[in-house]
Order: sequence, then structure tokens, then C-alpha cells
Amino acid sequence: MTLEEFRLEVKKLKNSGKYPSRKSYLLPALWIAEKNFPQINSEMIKIIAEELEIPLVEVEEVARFYAMFHTERKGNFVIRVCTNLSCMLNGGEEILKEFCRLLGISPGETTPDGMFTVESYECMGLCDGAPAVTVNEERFSKVKVEDVPKILKKFGWKG
Amino acid sequence: MEKILLRNVEKENSHKIEVYMKSGGYQSLRKVLKEMSPDDVIEEVKISGLRGRGGAGFPTGMKWEFASQDIKEPKFFVCNADEGEPCTFKDRVIIEKDPHAMIEGMIIGAYATGCRYGYIYLRGEYPIGKKILERAIAEAYEKGFLGENILGTDFSFDLHVHSGAGAYICGEETALIESLEGKRGEPRIKPPFPVNAGYLWKPTVVNNVETLANIPVIIERGGKWYSQIGSPDCPGPKLFPVSGKVKRPGVYELPMGTPLEEIIFEHAGGIVNDRKLKAVFPGGASSSVLTPDEISVPMDFPSLAKAGTMLGSGAIMVLDETDCIVKAALRLIEFFRHESCGKCTPCREGTDWLVRILRRIENGSGREEDLEIILSISETMENSFCGLGMAAHNPVASTVRKFREEYLNHVKSGRCPFRSV
Repeated sequence: MTLEEFRLEVKKLKNSGKYPSRKSYLLPALWIAEKNFPQINSEMIKIIAEELEIPLVEVEEVARFYAMFHTERKGNFVIRVCTNLSCMLNGGEEILKEFCRLLGISPGETTPDGMFTVESYECMGLCDGAPAVTVNEERFSKVKVEDVPKILKKFGWKG
Repeated sequence: MEKILLRNVEKENSHKIEVYMKSGGYQSLRKVLKEMSPDDVIEEVKISGLRGRGGAGFPTGMKWEFASQDIKEPKFFVCNADEGEPCTFKDRVIIEKDPHAMIEGMIIGAYATGCRYGYIYLRGEYPIGKKILERAIAEAYEKGFLGENILGTDFSFDLHVHSGAGAYICGEETALIESLEGKRGEPRIKPPFPVNAGYLWKPTVVNNVETLANIPVIIERGGKWYSQIGSPDCPGPKLFPVSGKVKRPGVYELPMGTPLEEIIFEHAGGIVNDRKLKAVFPGGASSSVLTPDEISVPMDFPSLAKAGTMLGSGAIMVLDETDCIVKAALRLIEFFRHESCGKCTPCREGTDWLVRILRRIENGSGREEDLEIILSISETMENSFCGLGMAAHNPVASTVRKFREEYLNHVKSGRCPFRSV
């Protein structure tokens, strides 16, 4: 998506009539940026602020508040490994370590080729399948350490 | 027991409107619009004794009555689908497998309270649920259950999905409203309560997914029938998500008041590898821990409060004898530190200090006086601005009280006894 296309999408959103208040379109607008760009940067923040007619700082503080909005560059595939209680009890921390070991990065980092970001994540409501992992919107349940390379290969890991 | 909330979930394509309607879906909405006044609906819900399933257990009928009596317009009806309490995954089942039950419940609620617009505030971590809900809403519009002049009456109601973006605090209803308004999810002072001053400071009803899924069946079979299920002062069926070290983790629908022991050992199959039960958090991450000799407690709001803990979302987290209680408490308080919005000092600083102290205990460099410091911080956190901080210390303080020996063991031996190295 180009920035001009992004601006058009935000305009379209604003005219959808979904909310009686302009500012309420902020989270949906940030979601468009999150889904279509590797990071939400100052240019997108500026476009949103202009289109919704709200101060820049109010866009930026919201972009930075929510964990799912990436204001730092993310990989094509965001791997979220749950380490909350039920997943931890069932080995989630080992799964996280294995992803990091194979990709050579620490939690929160992105591989140099821009393919993968690994995140140590809080509960995603998949506790009946603990330990749980998601890659973008795909779910993996009852993940074992030996499943980790298979999951990575599915998303184009060459390692 | 007859399944009520999970009656549809096993059916093929249970998320589709045809399947829902085939088993009587949207008949309650028809009944409400054709035969009942808004006051009749509120009265029926009051008779049912339904209490909110999001965690606070507030009587739903009373909440609706407050909203209906407010004269400000327009009014908003919000479904809290920001299911973020760790180890809670009950609403996910309804959202993905029976979305029309909650949507029908919402439309009925909007009619009863006079709400014109509705939003489902869905947690960002449920992208599959988002697609399902959006499709379900479109289906409901096509059939004339949403939009202008529903089923040929004067009643109009529009409904949209609003996606959160990964903030636990937005499950708190006033933070949710702030987020819906396009702001950081920080809670507001109460009162005023959302029923009088919520979204855009207009009357706003906020109900949990599971609460709303109860509504069609209350209308269909009557409040009186419903009130006879489960605990008398807290009736109805309840979804219990069970996870951790049980043989069959999952969501179980049982009457309110089912003993915790029965849920763990009969329904969830007992402890993995037939190990010994060590501890249970009976109502999500912010509930106080229960020990094996306390699990005969009935799972409902008043009984758990009496036992010094809470029902919360009903999420049951089970630890076995090989699990370290310090590590478990640490993981939960790390979660709360991450999710504290930072607005008030007791929560922002309290969660941070509890993490630091628990980390040093778990790493073997804790001191005996740390235990008293933990309890003192915990007491201060009771004064937090919202429920997050008020409850976040519960898993830590309760484990210090009930598993004091294990904490001391960490301190004295200078290491975590559950780690092999």
C-alpha cells in the first residue's frame, strides 16, 4: 500500500458512518496501517491526524499505548508465543527459547532479513491448547519444541 | 445437565444464521418486539437473577433499568468482548461458535434500554472471531434483525465490531469506553457509571459476551425457569474455562455453584499424570489462590467471596505438585506490570516492586523480610484507581500467606527448589 492509498482508505473509513465521533475512527485507522505496513511511522500518524482532524500527539500516544500496534519495524510474520500461566506451566518458555535460538534473535526482535518477529506474548485465550503460538492470524496449539522448525518452515524459513 | 449456553456449538456451521435460526434462534427477538414492552423485558431479566459474567457479577436487569431510566440520547449498547483475563477463553467459544446468540441478546438488550447504536469491543487477539462476528452481523442485517425498523417495528439498532489492539486494561468498562472513543485505555473515575455517562458521556450499557448469550433463552423460557438453575442467589448456567495441569483442559458449562473439586476432577479429568493437586486460581489471574483442602467450594460469586477469593471470569487455573508457586505468582504479576496503564501510583509502582521482589526470591537472592514487604505493598495496592490494581496483588499476597514455607525455602536455600540446576 502506498501512503496515498492509505490516505484514501482512512477517508473511506471516516465516511463510513460507523461512529458519531471522528476520534473513534482512530483505532480502526491505526489497524489499517498496522495491517498494510511493516511499521506505523510518523508519516502514517500525520495522515491519520490530518484526516481525522485531531492533534498529532493524540494519534501517536494511542499508537504507542497498544501492544499490537508496531511503531518499530516488524517482520512479515509476527510470531507470538504465549508465556502466561497455563502456557508457562505447559512449557511455553521453552517454545519461546527455541524460536529465538533458531532465528538467532531475542524476544521482541526481528530477523535481519525482515521475515520474522518473535514476541513473548501475554494470554491470547488459547489456554485449552497450551502452550499456544500464533503466527500472524494463524494459531498453533499444544506446541512441542520439536514442532518449532516445522512451524517456521511453513512460513518460508530456510534455516 | 442440559446444555444451554453451549447448546449450539457442536453443530456444523453453528456460526451461521441459518443453523442458529433452525434451532429457534431470533424467536426471542420476535417475541420481545411483538409481545413485550421494554419494561417487560427488564422485569423478566430481573426475575431471572442473571448477574454479569464478565467478573463483577452485577445484576444485569438492574443495569438495564438504570440505563432505561436515563433520559439522555442517544444511548449506546456495548458488548465487552475484550476477553483478556489470563486463562479465560470462554467468550471465544461463543464468539466463534454461536455469535448469533450474543448478537440476539444484544438486540434484545438494546430494545429494553432504548439504545440506538451498538458496538462489540473485541480484543485484537481474536482476528478469527472478528471475521465471524462481522459476517454474523451482515447476516443479521440481511434478515432484518438489525438496522432501521427491525421486523417492521419502530425499533432501530445498528451494530459494529470495534477491534481493540492488545491492552488488558480495556476489559475494564470505562477504559474500554475511552478506547472506543479513540484514546489510550485508561479507566475513568466512577461514578458516574457508564449507564449514565459512558461512550461520549451518553448512557452506555456494557455487558459481557456470556451475559448476553443468556438473554435469548431467558426470554424464551422465562426468568423464573432460569432462576431455578444453580445457586439460588446467583443462578444460571456458567462457562468455566479450565486450564493448566488438568487432563482435559477446555470450557465446561455447569450450573453456577458447581463445586470446584467436581469441575477439576470429574469434568476436566483430574491432574495430568495423576500427580497431586497443589493449588488453584479459581477466577482468573487476579483471584486469590486456593489450596487442595479448600476446593469443595461452590463456584459462584458469593461462595468464592466468602472463601476469600473471587469468581471473576470463572477461569480455573490448576497447578500440580511439580509447579513452583513463586514462579506462578511471578508470572502473573509480571503480566499485571505489563498491563498496568500507569495512571495511578499504587498500581504502576506496586506491580513493578512486586515483580522485582518476586524475581529475586525466585532467583535465590530473596530475604525473609521480603515477605512482609510484599504484604505491605499488597495492602497499598488496594487503594488503586481501578480494579486492575486492586486485584493484581491477590495472586502474590495469597500465595505468600498460604505457601509461606515454599517462599522461605527459596530464601533459605538460595535457589528455586523446583529447578533442576
